[in-house]
Amino acid sequence: MPVSIIFAAVLLLAVPGWAAEGDVFSDLDMNNPSALQEASRVLEEELKLAARPQTYLLVDLASGAIQIKARGVDLHRLPIAAWTATGLPRLSGTFRLTTRPSVIRRKIDPSATTEQEPISLSDMPTEYRLSFTPAMTIDVESSTEEGAMGWIRATSQKAWKQLRAWRQRLAGVPSSGEAPMISLTLSSEQAQSLAWSTVDGMPVVIRRPSEP
Amino acid sequence: MKRVLLLICSVLSVGLLAALIPYSSSQLQPSIASVPQPIAVDPFVLRGLQNQYKGLKKQLSQFIPHQPYILVDTARNHLYVKRSQEIVLDAIASTGSGVVLDKPGEGNTQWVFDTPRGEFSVQSKLTHPAWVKPDWAFIEEGLLVPKNPADRVEQGVLGDYALGFGKGYFIHGTLYTRLLGKNVTHGCIRLNDDDLKSVYQLARVGTPIMIF
Repeated sequence: MPVSIIFAAVLLLAVPGWAAEGDVFSDLDMNNPSALQEASRVLEEELKLAARPQTYLLVDLASGAIQIKARGVDLHRLPIAAWTATGLPRLSGTFRLTTRPSVIRRKIDPSATTEQEPISLSDMPTEYRLSFTPAMTIDVESSTEEGAMGWIRATSQKAWKQLRAWRQRLAGVPSSGEAPMISLTLSSEQAQSLAWSTVDGMPVVIRRPSEP
Repeated sequence: MKRVLLLICSVLSVGLLAALIPYSSSQLQPSIASVPQPIAVDPFVLRGLQNQYKGLKKQLSQFIPHQPYILVDTARNHLYVKRSQEIVLDAIASTGSGVVLDKPGEGNTQWVFDTPRGEFSVQSKLTHPAWVKPDWAFIEEGLLVPKNPADRVEQGVLGDYALGFGKGYFIHGTLYTRLLGKNVTHGCIRLNDDDLKSVYQLARVGTPIMIF
């Protein structure tokens, strides 16, 4: 066997076998300094999470998608139809899921002859709240209507929420500790998928949009 | 009446204005897309940020498995074997039913028949596995748990192969192929004979299994 082939084979074995990097943030403007800084901050958080055997969520407000990830691999992607957020500057670091929607589980009755219906995606809620530590909440709503009706519905919901927040502020009711809050609108199926995939203590990283 | 109408209109107008105050996806798009502002960026600083981003992206890519890995979507009951971004195998599976069974004589404790979510790895590879039936397999059928361990062993129900991934969970075959695609198991992942054979051949002990 020629020496050059052996040398090439040794070189190939010595080089770490990186998988294709893929586009981590395909929407990223490489000439936008603040977008680059935010993307780097998210990657630094991801490096800590990917080093452990676990799944984690990346809520990417900049590209409008939620990614279920492990080891830096994008396992599943849920598109975000619309979102609003308060306290964006404090949405840095890693948050851990403390409260997720409860599911009514059916119980097996050994004396019964019929089998219990299993839980499926359709048993998952379409509107719910996820709470995290440090204090942060994600409200998930589903949108079934599209076009003008969908826009009117989403806008009136947003207006109502804002009015309620103002009323509470005027009445001196402390809001939820001024904690950052994200409101996500997903399709019904994506909202159910997210509820299905979350596990207690699941880490979440947020990628915030940046101005040009 | 006019005053009431005026009041309602005012409240709605304020609400609509207020709805646009929180940072939102709909607010973001025009501000970025339609108002490009020339920003003087130091090319040296920009290059530094770009290099930092590329470096972090490369670091993250080192966590991505470069050997085949198993991906399980429990919501849609699919098992994939992937190599980097390429899907090597797409198989219809059955995963956990999510139903519960009371543990007799143990107060309020229950067995929860979920497929665990998270990252695991293949810990064992077996051929012609026998099923050693756990307590719940008898209790859910209203039978007494046998005292003789030999009475727990059942041959031929798990197919030709089984891949263990910890805490008694396995990827194995099934006699009930008509139930593939449904959440019907006690937490294990079932496949048909051909797909099971492919997974057995592609996976090694240590192959990552990512379940969401």
